[in-house]
Amino acid sequence: MQGAGLDLALPYLMLAPALLVVFAVLVYPLWEGLKASTKLYRYGRVIADVGFDNYVRLWSDPQFLNALSVTATFVTLAVALETVLGFALALFCAREFAGIRLLRTILIIPMVITPVVVAILFRLIYASDAGMFTAISLALGGGEVQILGDPVKAFIGLVALDVWEWTPLMFLIILAGLQSLPQEPFEAARVDGADAWRSFVDLTLPMMRPVLSIAVVLRTIDAFGTFDQVFVLTRGGPGESTKLLSIYGYDTAFKFQMTGYAAALFVTLGLIMLALALLAIRFIQKGTEE
Amino acid sequence: MNTRAARAGILAVILTLVLAPLYWLVSTSLKSNQEITQARTLYPNAPTLDNYIRLFHEKEFAAYLSNSLVVTIASVSIALVLGTLGAYAIARFRLPFMLERKAVLFLLTMRIVPPVVILIPVFLLMLKLNLLDSWWGLIITYTAFNVTFCVWMMESFFREVPVDLEEAAMVDGNSRFAAFYRITLPLVAPGLAATAIFAVIVTINEFMFSLVLTATPAAMTMPRGTATLIGRIDTDWASMAAAGIVGALPVVIFSLLVQRHLVRGLTMGAVK
Repeated sequence: MQGAGLDLALPYLMLAPALLVVFAVLVYPLWEGLKASTKLYRYGRVIADVGFDNYVRLWSDPQFLNALSVTATFVTLAVALETVLGFALALFCAREFAGIRLLRTILIIPMVITPVVVAILFRLIYASDAGMFTAISLALGGGEVQILGDPVKAFIGLVALDVWEWTPLMFLIILAGLQSLPQEPFEAARVDGADAWRSFVDLTLPMMRPVLSIAVVLRTIDAFGTFDQVFVLTRGGPGESTKLLSIYGYDTAFKFQMTGYAAALFVTLGLIMLALALLAIRFIQKGTEE
Repeated sequence: MNTRAARAGILAVILTLVLAPLYWLVSTSLKSNQEITQARTLYPNAPTLDNYIRLFHEKEFAAYLSNSLVVTIASVSIALVLGTLGAYAIARFRLPFMLERKAVLFLLTMRIVPPVVILIPVFLLMLKLNLLDSWWGLIITYTAFNVTFCVWMMESFFREVPVDLEEAAMVDGNSRFAAFYRITLPLVAPGLAATAIFAVIVTINEFMFSLVLTATPAAMTMPRGTATLIGRIDTDWASMAAAGIVGALPVVIFSLLVQRHLVRGLTMGAVK
């Protein structure tokens, strides 16, 4: 009978440890973060309760607004490019051919390599005195190429880094999706005389919609939180041209010690990401119901 | 024949785009600083390993590496045990008030919360617990992130195993836990491997929390240490390149070895 009692308690005993850890290390800090976001700190100490002031102040802080627009531009550009390139690459590889195994192996490297090292990689490529572009330009008889010193080029350089690092993930997800599509509709279309373009637009795209949406959502949320690469590549500069919200929040918290204000900023960032995720999930559900 | 040539051409372009940055890192790490900033050729004229030797004379680098290993192995192991137990309970038991559904929904929600949101409070928590700049501060944090992931992955693997097998084992006199441990667990071993591999890569590459929670080589992990090092050597490109290679090599080799499992972990969830 003792065994039966243990069996009854078993589900709870199995679930409790995981839930406990998540409560202690994720939920409790989340709650503490919300509390901190309503306080005014000076030198790491709470000096006043300010309610929602921190949140209100954000929207008249030019640096926050700038970081928001830089982040939005970065995410839109990077994810759009990665999706288009990843899709093209997946279509190219959908049929087996010699060299595809090698390609798949090599495409794993960019996404597993430490993000900090990816940033080092691109710093070395972009360096005006020693970079790859400068070396190529010199070999062709040109001069030094300046990238990280120029606001627009540095921003484009950051997008290029992200595209290099994450297009392979898009490719893998979309390829797995393509390979799981049923073959019959395509054969029927071929019999009906549809060309490759028609069957892509009429069949592939609609059937790939759920996979594409999920891939875009995952990547968008991830890109919104980009931190490591910028921290090492440009530290947000030159000027504020690559200062993403995460970098601005980090500086606010750990450089300027404005803990409460930074907490409000991070909560706002979290809410934006959550809103995006929910929006995307509704979009996906609508797409699959049709 | 024509499409075949076109295919080969496209393949070559893709490979060049992916490999060129990696080539440049390796090539730079084999040059001397003088060669890097003066000769500026596309390949090393006088390849040298000096940069690597210099790097390892800074003995901190070995410390970063061992910190990374300890923190990653500990947090992934703990998370795997807790996550697998939790996932099994969610996949197999029907609890009153649909508690198991609520638990999985709760864990998934916590998974959507971007880590950056709790950066400050986790720092304040570890400050309060006196765990800043220690292995445990990082282990506890990474365990929590990994647990939600492990539950999510393992739950789907458990669902693929038919219940009949466990029921047969229980009819034979095994307890529920024994049936789980002896019958089901071995069957989901490939899933367990895929989960572990993915968790290891994400954890060993983590930078933001390591940046905030550690301050000295006593606890700094590889990415954190590498970032600090290159901050100090700013325009010493040769050392920077060698540090990049040494920092990334373990995870790249590991990933290539376990490739097959990795692709499954990466694309799962999106395609199901």
